[in-house]
Amino acid sequence: MSASTAPFRVRYRRSVNDPDLRPRLLAFQRSWRESRDAQVRRLEQRSEQSFDELRRNFAAVKDHTLERMDEYIAEFRANAEAAGARVIELATADQAVDYIAEVCRSRGIEVVVKSKSMVSEEIELNHELEQRGIAAIETDLGEWLLQLARERPSHLVMPAIHQKRQYVAEILGQELEREFDPDDIPAMVASAREGLRGHYLSAGAGLTGANALIAETGSVMVVTNEGNMRLATSLPDVHFVTAGIEKLIPTWADAERQLQLLPRSATAQTLSTYTTCITGAQPGKEMHIILLDNGRRAMRDHEPISDALRCIRCGACANVCPPYQVVGGHTFGHIYTGAIGLVNTTFHHSVADAAGPQGLCVSCGACETVCPVAIPLPAQILDIRRRVHESGHAPLWERAALRLWARPRVFNALMGMGALASGMARLVGLARRDHLRLPLPKRLRWRAVPTLPLRSGQTLIRARSSQPTIAPAPANGQAVDLFAQCLADRLLPSTVDAAARLIEAGGATVNLPEAQHCCGLPAFDAGDWDTARTMARQTIEALEGNTRSVVTPAPSCVISMRAHWPQLFADEPQWRDRAAAISDRVHDLAEWLDGPGHLPSGCLIKAGSDSWTAHRFCQSSNRGDDSARIDQLVERLTGEHALPLAEPEVCCGFGGLTSLAAPEVGEGILDRKLNCIADSGCDTLITNNPGCVIHLRAGAVARGSEHETLHYAEFLAAQLPKQPTSSSPPPISSLLPTLSLPPISSFLRKQEPTNNHHQ
Amino acid sequence: MMALSDRTALFAEGLAAAQGELFPCTSWEDVWRYAVSLSDEAPVVSPAAYEQLQRGALPDVNDPLRSIADRAVGITEAALAVAETGSVLLIEPAPIDRAVSLLTHHLIVAVTEQDIVDELADGFRWLARQPRAAAYATFVTGPSRTADIERSLTIGVQGPSRLSVAVLA
Ligand code: SF4
Repeated sequence: MSASTAPFRVRYRRSVNDPDLRPRLLAFQRSWRESRDAQVRRLEQRSEQSFDELRRNFAAVKDHTLERMDEYIAEFRANAEAAGARVIELATADQAVDYIAEVCRSRGIEVVVKSKSMVSEEIELNHELEQRGIAAIETDLGEWLLQLARERPSHLVMPAIHQKRQYVAEILGQELEREFDPDDIPAMVASAREGLRGHYLSAGAGLTGANALIAETGSVMVVTNEGNMRLATSLPDVHFVTAGIEKLIPTWADAERQLQLLPRSATAQTLSTYTTCITGAQPGKEMHIILLDNGRRAMRDHEPISDALRCIRCGACANVCPPYQVVGGHTFGHIYTGAIGLVNTTFHHSVADAAGPQGLCVSCGACETVCPVAIPLPAQILDIRRRVHESGHAPLWERAALRLWARPRVFNALMGMGALASGMARLVGLARRDHLRLPLPKRLRWRAVPTLPLRSGQTLIRARSSQPTIAPAPANGQAVDLFAQCLADRLLPSTVDAAARLIEAGGATVNLPEAQHCCGLPAFDAGDWDTARTMARQTIEALEGNTRSVVTPAPSCVISMRAHWPQLFADEPQWRDRAAAISDRVHDLAEWLDGPGHLPSGCLIKAGSDSWTAHRFCQSSNRGDDSARIDQLVERLTGEHALPLAEPEVCCGFGGLTSLAAPEVGEGILDRKLNCIADSGCDTLITNNPGCVIHLRAGAVARGSEHETLHYAEFLAAQLPKQPTSSSPPPISSLLPTLSLPPISSFLRKQEPTNNHHQ
Repeated sequence: MMALSDRTALFAEGLAAAQGELFPCTSWEDVWRYAVSLSDEAPVVSPAAYEQLQRGALPDVNDPLRSIADRAVGITEAALAVAETGSVLLIEPAPIDRAVSLLTHHLIVAVTEQDIVDELADGFRWLARQPRAAAYATFVTGPSRTADIERSLTIGVQGPSRLSVAVLA
């Protein structure tokens, strides 16, 4: 079995055990980003349009064509056939293979030379033709190397990016029966001329893909760099084009629009070396244009996914993908790789083929920011995960864990026990810097296990008197519901308390709604919509029945309420309205402090200066939410400037369940982030999502970094005057309500004096 | 529309960024002199360039590609050039038209300075009006290249490894 066709777990283990893969892909991603950004800036200047305008304009062209697919196919067919080509529409991969094989058989063709074509990979054409005695020879250098190694592409544009030069020297040596010096890359490249020339001369047919099919003239446009495509279409007498029906565009002007985006996004070139347009069969030759469906109309008719048909196969979504950098395309994808592979595999191949890599995506949203046709890839991946979950392909442990999480009393009991165990560990010296000193297995040693504090965030708030306000306080007298977030309440109680103090400093009073637990995000992320709905309903019930603003220190919950709840309750109008009534009232803390609960600029000037930098929560930041700009908020309030941080947009690697399901991915991404943080030279790293705080802190402790990791609320609240707390340390008995079994705990909760302690 | 000299300067910039070279000249005579100075082997010329030059070796009509494989220097003519990208547009409907630009090591493309257009969109507009030209039209931007082995950029793979554009004033 080759490296890329083995079962997912095997591919995963292979890729995380390859010591060269990560550094190579890291260097690639960084250099691509720099050159691509420079290209995009130049394009924006020249066209006087933003990247977003340019990509939305072209996306509109694609959408229009997709809506009228049959009309444009008819137009393309009429024009191409008038120019002497044959246009064949085929529904399945098998039909496409059969057609090509039959043309070859009837013309006595034994060798087909191929220029790069993802559709031919999609239908596994080489293998299928080989079975029928026809040799299909790849002529793109990277594809040829893959064919010699019997591998699949690991990237849409740089197919052999996973291969080391030593390995290339070995496979070329075997093929051409001579030695190659791995350090002499030009010599290896030159060998392609020698190795492939004979095949061009003996081939009866050439096969290419298409970057665009231009309906108004029936033309095929192909973009390449090596010159092999021109050779493959010039020497043999038959030319096959294999293209998905989504490659159609109406006009030449549209082709030019596509070219503004494609090479810049693919290889950061202004234009690739060869942009070739072929219209019709050349005199005395045949041209067969195969328009393949293979799941594309099904994609078009499934609303959340239809936009994925805009894809122009540039590979950019892989080039910014943090987990792709750790595992590469043989693991992050099936035949199509990168974010788009997580989406379209379900339709071109199967749910089972798409299932494995789903859990590797950290939902950071980077792919959507660079996609030159603005495909909402993160939302689509979540939709595919739901299919994977519903078809029974999700791991059992994940289902079980989410069911437990969905039950607040069980969750609280487990957390209570964890807190007690952590307390004991502290007593016997098994904890340091708030993390356990445990002998962990090697693959988990990169992240320390945080101890659970004895008191939750809500308990801390209840136990102190309220914070004096800072004048002027625009929120004066308002009451605000604090949504603590389940994770933060237990693991970062001082963050939750700090958030409450900042709200109070702005003049509002803080109310802690009873029975608040989890918004449903972890289950939604895992594709388990039933469990997510259960959790969301609990949260809605806990928060409804008043008109107070809801503020949370967790931007991920805000995204969940605003973006995911409408999807969860799309078919339940009553719940949809109840959900909307809550999400209309919800604010991320940073949004609150800049908006309704405005704290005046410079109100938290520090005594000593502290060097700090900020990691913006990737998901909010990649969605373009202003609230992600915590560095600007902190600068405004403290008057101190953040140290520059490299790769600010790259995720920290927490990714919800990803860092549990695929610890090496969590580690790899975290490592990249922690290196950038170390390079910044900061004493304190601030960030805005509780998951990121927990993950970044646990990683910093495990590697012995000196810097402190804080939620910005805590960083800011440190400048507020301390408020007296009732007792310290807390008596063990304070844990009882959470530790006790459900009947007792519910009884005890009813006895609690008030939940509106500051009103 | 930019001034002619600005367009040529921009074209030169784009071409250089794509590892191509520009040499200004005033006549086809200059192009020829340059071509013969490059190698002892006689330059091969495309049918379009032959019309202008009336000399040089033409590919064999019966076997155009094999007859000139790996010749050192080739000369052809472009329909237009694009300032924005540093590209030249080759119109090559038949294999005999393509042989020179496909298989020689050092390709010289002649283009008249008047035929440099501002941007790619102009080139596409021109092409959309020329159905016969669109039979096989290629925007060539620099010499052939690959970065398929460890992302190391190597110029000259299966097409020319050097590209010079002769801009005829
Ligand atoms: S989904 Fe977007 S970024 Fe990814 S390959 Fe397709 S066009 Fe490029």
